[in-house]
Amino acid sequence: MSAALVRLQRLLIRVGALAEKETWHLVRDPRALIMGLGVPVVLLLLFGFGVRFDIADIPLVVVDYEQSARSRDLVRAFSANGEFDLVGELADAEAVEPAFRRGRAAIGLVIPPDFSDRLARGEPSPVQLLVDGADATSARQAMGKAEVMAQAAALRFVGAGDLAQAPPVDPHSWIRFNPTSASALYLVPGLTGLILAMMGVMLTALAVAREWEWGSMEQLFATPVGRLEIVLGKLLPYLVLAVLQVLLVLAVGAWVFEVPVRGSLPLLALSSLLFMASMLGQGLLISVVARNQMLASQVATVSSMLPTMLLSGFLFPIENMPWPLRAAAAVVPGRYYITTLRGVLLRGNGFAELWDQQVPLLAFTLAMVLLSTARFKRRLA
Amino acid sequence: MTPAIRVEHLTRRFGAFTAVRDVSFHVEKGEIFGYLGANGAGKSTTIRMLCGLLAPSEGDAVVAGHRVSREPEAIKWRIGYMSQKFSLYRDLGARENLEFYGGAYGLGGRRLRRRIAEVVELTDLAEVRDVPTGELPGGIRQRVALANAILHEPEIVFLDEPTAGVDPVSRRAFWRLIRHMAEAGTTVFVTTHYMDEAEYCARIGLMVAGRLAALDTPAALKRRHAPGTTWHVEAPAILRHLAALRRLPGVVEATAFGRGAHVRVAEGAPTGEAELRAALAAAGVPPTLVEPVAPTLEDVFLAVASADEQAAGTAAAWEDPA
Repeated sequence: MSAALVRLQRLLIRVGALAEKETWHLVRDPRALIMGLGVPVVLLLLFGFGVRFDIADIPLVVVDYEQSARSRDLVRAFSANGEFDLVGELADAEAVEPAFRRGRAAIGLVIPPDFSDRLARGEPSPVQLLVDGADATSARQAMGKAEVMAQAAALRFVGAGDLAQAPPVDPHSWIRFNPTSASALYLVPGLTGLILAMMGVMLTALAVAREWEWGSMEQLFATPVGRLEIVLGKLLPYLVLAVLQVLLVLAVGAWVFEVPVRGSLPLLALSSLLFMASMLGQGLLISVVARNQMLASQVATVSSMLPTMLLSGFLFPIENMPWPLRAAAAVVPGRYYITTLRGVLLRGNGFAELWDQQVPLLAFTLAMVLLSTARFKRRLA
Repeated sequence: MTPAIRVEHLTRRFGAFTAVRDVSFHVEKGEIFGYLGANGAGKSTTIRMLCGLLAPSEGDAVVAGHRVSREPEAIKWRIGYMSQKFSLYRDLGARENLEFYGGAYGLGGRRLRRRIAEVVELTDLAEVRDVPTGELPGGIRQRVALANAILHEPEIVFLDEPTAGVDPVSRRAFWRLIRHMAEAGTTVFVTTHYMDEAEYCARIGLMVAGRLAALDTPAALKRRHAPGTTWHVEAPAILRHLAALRRLPGVVEATAFGRGAHVRVAEGAPTGEAELRAALAAAGVPPTLVEPVAPTLEDVFLAVASADEQAAGTAAAWEDPA
């Protein structure tokens, strides 16, 4: 056998020994397994059921100055199909704002005294919508829904035959891939990315810091084990755990939230592997630098959660961000993984559309492994 | 024969504090070399530098043919290291620790299994090999650490305070193992602050405040640093009357020792058993025992440490810097 082969064999023995030992730690300490496998599922269930962007039963107050059959018709049109919940009628438009302040209502419909007269004369008949803008997302949705309803009601009042009153442009929207705009379908891929990012970074963030605290790092340094070998030996067992995490979270997404898997399964597997490797790598780097578990776990949480939540396109579209944030988002692995997840799960995409998302994940993983190795001090002080 | 360890002007500073100052010595192959000193005298720092764990600030050392400054990784293959603090994995059993560290040295398969069986047998760990080491008593734990340090058959073994906090019976058993290893040709570099253990060493280096204050065989050290006659004196509350003894002509030293005191009298001085008895009787405490004893290494250590302190004008730093 050549010298290079002997070296490779020794390297494999050492990495194998490290990985095996790390596995023993995992098995000995069920807390790590519970954290690794149980917490992601609990988080997905909590967030999946808790975070909803589509709103129903928006509390509505009505100020009807006319009190005619027509005006009552309009109010019924608003409250009939469950989007708005009529919580009360007020005598005066001045009373709407106090109702917002007390949280009694989120939207107010004010019908002027000449509502029917104007309709009868064939004139445009304005009604006023007051929206509580404190919750911008809800306000926008409430307003959109209210406008649609007002228009539908108006068409009915005027009569379908009166073509002159029909709007010149009549868009028919057709939302593909998430036909009911259910937020679970939209949210679960993003949530999956976020949860896996947090869990992945946390798994390895403690792995090296722990050895500093135990004092075992000194003994490890006295052996010929190299830095890259330590990094790989720590990475591999957690990668297995991380893959189980991914499977579990995706399974819960599919069964509980009925998120489909329409696209390429091999791509999903590859992308998940790359993403988890990149997150474990980030955790390792934190662990190598921090040297203590408390600090490492704090840095791990902040450095995985914030970027993945804010800069991955999970909550806010990256295209609308100012360029410094767009630049920062370019180095957030979660962004590429969430794009891949949405593509594979909802759009039925495969390698052809999404290969370019995998390249940054691979690059990030390699960068983390190299940085961890470089920052790893093989000496005590 | 080239020495196993050659240390040349080794110095290590931590900020403004100099833990090891210009230390030079060598250790022969197959020798048990004892490194003595108070806590913080620089023993662990020296060992860590020799094991390639800590870079020297100045000077260098050649360990098993490699310079610590340039090839610390090459050294690691050929040495075993047992740190002062137990640093194996406490959640793993002895066998698992040995399997892991064997793998870390590139041992695997049949060869690793054979070596584990050998060291488990040698260190008498068969019955406890699957108990998590964190649950073992200190004495057994130290044997696990020793088994781990010699698993890959190193040429040199560095043992940093291997018997600290271990009961006397276990200490004796442990030293039997050390002697056994040395007889088999392994060089043993061992630090301790138990002076009785130091008697087992072929040669001893005495560290005081980061400097190597003395270096020789135990017998030569006693001749040079504790010359004259050493008397063991016992009397009620003798510690309060040491000053009276020190005033006698030719008394070099009078220090507490066990239940009594050791009084060292210079060669040819007119102070003998009668004078010691008379002095204590005059002080109101007639001694119960006055007998000549062979000086111990503790006498040597006290003599060297006090001489060094007077010479350097500084007190030893008692804190371990690492």
